[in-house]
Amino acid sequence: MSEKPLNRFHQPISVPGRRLLHHIPLRFVRRKVSGGGQRAVNAEIPLIPFIDFLLCIVLFLLASFSATGELPIDKNVKLPNAENVIDMTEAPMVAITGTQILVDGTPAGSTRVVEEANRLQRVEELFNILKNKRELWKQLNPGKDFPGVVILQVDRKVPALVVKSVFQTAAYAGFPNVSFMVGRLGGGGE
Amino acid sequence: MAGIDVGGGHGGKRALNHEIPLIPFIDFLLCLVAFLLVTAVWSQMARINADARVPGPPKPEQPEDIKKEKQLHVEMRGEQKFQLVWKEGNTVINTIDVERKKVPVGDGGDITYPDLAKKIGEEWNANGSHRAATDNKFDQAVLHTDNSTPFQEVIAVIDSIYSPKRDWSMGGKTEKVPAFNVTFAVN
Repeated sequence: MSEKPLNRFHQPISVPGRRLLHHIPLRFVRRKVSGGGQRAVNAEIPLIPFIDFLLCIVLFLLASFSATGELPIDKNVKLPNAENVIDMTEAPMVAITGTQILVDGTPAGSTRVVEEANRLQRVEELFNILKNKRELWKQLNPGKDFPGVVILQVDRKVPALVVKSVFQTAAYAGFPNVSFMVGRLGGGGE
Repeated sequence: MAGIDVGGGHGGKRALNHEIPLIPFIDFLLCLVAFLLVTAVWSQMARINADARVPGPPKPEQPEDIKKEKQLHVEMRGEQKFQLVWKEGNTVINTIDVERKKVPVGDGGDITYPDLAKKIGEEWNANGSHRAATDNKFDQAVLHTDNSTPFQEVIAVIDSIYSPKRDWSMGGKTEKVPAFNVTFAVN
């Protein structure tokens, strides 16, 4: 056992080790009780490999860090999966859940009107909300080109008529770059 | 603890030996790891593009005679087959039938149309107009679908249309992108 005191700790903390029977003035007893001939009680923590390991974790997490945060997915929406996909971007999110249409979680009309009419038509409430969003963006970013991206979060069972109506409404409201939110199929993507 | 020993420090000069405070450094790293783990996004969500192609306001300098390009119309109205129609304006150039054979993928009820993807790839290789990496325009595909078709099937077809890839250079970097842009037919 090493008798060298630890740099960092002086009093009252002492070097760890056996304490009992040290007062007995027999050398072989002292050697025996202090662990002589056996494995040392002190153990060095390998700090440098530990720091290397931590640095690797930090670098990996920084590389995969996403500043956009978690995407809000309605629990009632079961999204389809696709293989040839691109990464998500920050844009207004239009969700179609059952008969309800939501823009960033705010109700923006119903699909019932479209389904009852059984023809492609504009969803007025959705149109107004998206148009207001577009105008607000233009006021906040004067002189910049409006990206016109909107992401549709559509349940896999929703009929194409509703999807096309919402798609067309978004386009009329000034969001021609429509994306559909999907899951990654088989780890594909670009 | 870890230190840097460069000797010196005698004769009243400032000591050149320094102790690197490893324990606070490890604490800092652990805090950083904890923060990054808490804020990490493990989402597997992605998006698939569609282009609405809404005409903008008329421009005075716009030429009157715009060259009509070939477009691939994908008809998914039939129960048994897809129809791929190459059109130039209203003129039909070629029509190809593809069997509508859906292939289930995984346990989540997902489907794909590999035959359609393969045929669209062949068609683009034979008739695609925008192939050069420096070409910023893309071939256009128009999807015709029944009103009652479930969204899942629509996505499976769009996924098939996006399967042929081409090179695209932007800012000195070349990447593989889908050869087609997809939009919906309004009728």
